[in-house]
Amino acid sequence: MSECGTQPPDGSRSGEPELTCEQSLARVYEYLDGELDTAEHDAVRRHLEKCRKCYPHFDFERLFLDYVHELGAGEESRPGLADRVRDMLAAEKS
Amino acid sequence: MSIPAEQRQREFESEALVHLDALYGLALRLSGGDEPRAEDLVQEAVLKAYRAWDRFESGTNCRAWLMTILRNTFINQFRRQKARPVPVEFEQVAERPSSEALYEADPEGQIFDRIIDDQVIAAIDELPEEFRVAVVLSDLEGLSYQEVAELMGIPVGTVKSRLFRARKRLQERLYDYAVEMGYLR
Ligand SMILES: [Zn+2]
Repeated sequence: MSECGTQPPDGSRSGEPELTCEQSLARVYEYLDGELDTAEHDAVRRHLEKCRKCYPHFDFERLFLDYVHELGAGEESRPGLADRVRDMLAAEKS
Repeated sequence: MSIPAEQRQREFESEALVHLDALYGLALRLSGGDEPRAEDLVQEAVLKAYRAWDRFESGTNCRAWLMTILRNTFINQFRRQKARPVPVEFEQVAERPSSEALYEADPEGQIFDRIIDDQVIAAIDELPEEFRVAVVLSDLEGLSYQEVAELMGIPVGTVKSRLFRARKRLQERLYDYAVEMGYLR
């Protein structure tokens, strides 16, 4: 496994390449969406534990995604729709 | 034994039609706020559900079943007329550096407590369809990348890049709104 880019000072875990800030930020949505495999997820998490630059950025993106998730598709009403649907069903031969 | 038509319709109305507003809400977001198109979508989905009603197991999640039928109905239409190219304008605009402007101006995300939901909904509606559908399915409906990819008939990598661009575009719009409303300067 090759390591590219700059490496944070903590090299204590042998064999596990450290992610650069750029590599971590490129994975922000996959990380927050829970779409990374365990090894990659852990690599990002280790980076966030010690990077003051990336952590707030991830936090911000989490707030953004939480906001949109919570918004959801929601319910909307349309005048007359229920009546038109009932008429359609009544006209449908069973 | 088939159920008499009247009883069947009554049953369907009490169990399925109570979810009409939820169906219409999803249809409206998928169709980008196009009300007649959303209504057509709901009508088509409800008719399909009604025809398949004998196969619906009562006691299971009727709302989820109906939403799935509606999503599939939309996707069938979407995939049929998918020949449209992605608008160039969006591709270029999405690259403008201000996609990070919101984070830089408001790193703590206070905007998310203050923004009016309708403004965000309008911003989602305005996304080009290919991007909007990915956002609606993933962010509003909570489907996985794989599920979105299968529904839309595109690779997972394309789902990722569409979500990335669409989310950045939404943040740009939120930034513009925040400045307009005086939340940010
Ligand atoms: Zn970093």
